[in-house]
Amino acid sequence: MYFGLSDDALALREGLREVLSSACTPAVVRSAWDGDPCEPLWKTLGSFGLPGLLVPEDRGGLGLDELSFVAAVEEAGWHGVPGPLVETIVSAPLLDLPLDGSVRIAVARSSGPVPWAAVSTHVLDLRDEPALVDLSSVEVTAVPTVDRSRALGSISESPVGHAGASDRQLRDDHTTALALLELRATLGTAAFLLGLARRQLDLTVAYVKDRQQFGVPVGSFQAVKHPIANAVVDTEFAWPAVLRAAYSLSTNDPAAAMHVSMAKALASDAAYRMSRVCLQAHGAIGYTVEYDLHLFTKRTWALANDWDTAAEHRAAVARALLERTAS
Amino acid sequence: MQSAYGGRRTSMNIVVLVKQVPDTWAERKLKADDKTLDRASVDVVMNEIDEYAVEEALKLKEAAGGEASVTILTMGPDRAVETIRKALSMGADKAVHLSDEALAGSDAIQTSYAIAKVLDTLEYDLVICGSEATDSRMSVMAALLAERTGKPQLSGARKVTVDGGNVKIERQTDNGYDVVEAPLPAILSVVEKINEPRYPSFKGIMAAKSKPLTTLTTADAGIEADKVGLANAPSQVVEFSNKPPRQAGQIVKDEGDGGAKVADFLASQKII
Repeated sequence: MYFGLSDDALALREGLREVLSSACTPAVVRSAWDGDPCEPLWKTLGSFGLPGLLVPEDRGGLGLDELSFVAAVEEAGWHGVPGPLVETIVSAPLLDLPLDGSVRIAVARSSGPVPWAAVSTHVLDLRDEPALVDLSSVEVTAVPTVDRSRALGSISESPVGHAGASDRQLRDDHTTALALLELRATLGTAAFLLGLARRQLDLTVAYVKDRQQFGVPVGSFQAVKHPIANAVVDTEFAWPAVLRAAYSLSTNDPAAAMHVSMAKALASDAAYRMSRVCLQAHGAIGYTVEYDLHLFTKRTWALANDWDTAAEHRAAVARALLERTAS
Repeated sequence: MQSAYGGRRTSMNIVVLVKQVPDTWAERKLKADDKTLDRASVDVVMNEIDEYAVEEALKLKEAAGGEASVTILTMGPDRAVETIRKALSMGADKAVHLSDEALAGSDAIQTSYAIAKVLDTLEYDLVICGSEATDSRMSVMAALLAERTGKPQLSGARKVTVDGGNVKIERQTDNGYDVVEAPLPAILSVVEKINEPRYPSFKGIMAAKSKPLTTLTTADAGIEADKVGLANAPSQVVEFSNKPPRQAGQIVKDEGDGGAKVADFLASQKII
């Protein structure tokens, strides 16, 4: 079993890094804080091929597997790509919508405001009978949240027709497809979190090397460098779990769901710890909105609990292990 | 399409000159020993304006309904392959890489000689280059190549149209633009205003791996070794000094007369 990244996955990540370095600067992430859906960025993602990453090639996608998916999404996390990237990529195989970046699909799983709905074009509503809602036909009210780029939105009651209700994949037996969507979204969120963690680490390492106190860089003090090192150990240990879960999904491993839960539990905790340590190592400047750190810290806080919390995933792992023992 | 050579042709051959340069934002330094640019110790990228040149070639190909072939031509060390791959991943069809130790340290005159020799081995209707490279900033390659190949030069293009056997450009000037027209084959240089370069797509990146890349030595291209390289360069860097470190600024304490002091300072610098 080799669950490292293939040459194709590495090329995908490398290519995406180059694109995002100029297309998704902190200024772009900041613009999302003002409610901008960042259409030029999404168009660029579309021309790169990202929305169709998991869509078969004969339908115009890239036809790649979950390992390539986590490689790409981790990189997107480093850049803090605004918008429902993970949700759009995992929904695309089920829907017949354009893959050119003109469509941004949020996913509604529970009552209350829907993450990304205020900047999305569609919501895949999984709350009762699965349906695709075209957001141009309903009223979306933005709901304030800690990470403003996340654009929570509450959707008006009884939308004017579920535009995608007749969609082939949603109408037919969709249980398997939707279960896979949830697993992929959870895994993608874990990968995105580790990208966010890596970005916060990079910002912090640069900062503590530069910031002087008592005549030396603050990073030379154990009280600063040890917590950072511990946080790095957590993220480094979470990444192989993400890769393993991706491999399990791509090979239809019967334990894939448990592996995804393990990955999300580890990634949520690791990224959350990294964000705390990085914020502290920055001192007061970490709290300022003018400095970039908070763009990634606040997204981490939001995503750590998105697609279920670390505790919920731990419980899921426990259940799966007990079931396995019982059988 | 009516060809520059008279007969009917089905396809236009475009050659784009692409140079690998130190990252625009990196600190660029000359080496103390041979006074050439230190390329090894910095990140390298495709010369920015060359991306516009590649984009324009791809646009011309699209305008010709795909009936064109875009060839990337690069002179540089082995590492320049990265930059060639990027141009191929944007959509160019094939590439020629002129790479030889003997070429190291060549100046603009020698580079134009070497590139003209490679162009002689290729069939082309249009050669497109960026208006300047961010490292040497000579801005003379189009002119030098036009002279060496005896082809018309159309420089500083902000718009290009190919019609039959002719190429027409809008040449950017300080006050507006000139319309310049020439028969193909021709040498063209473009400015940043011309387009918005595309990003490579993932499919493009994967396809680039299997596109033809020909590597030539000086001997392969018929370049005489004693006409290129640092030792034979007509122009030489005799001496250089690094930029002096930034001086600490002058801090004026405002004791109610801050405004006047600022005005005095500006007056002393002849700004007001």
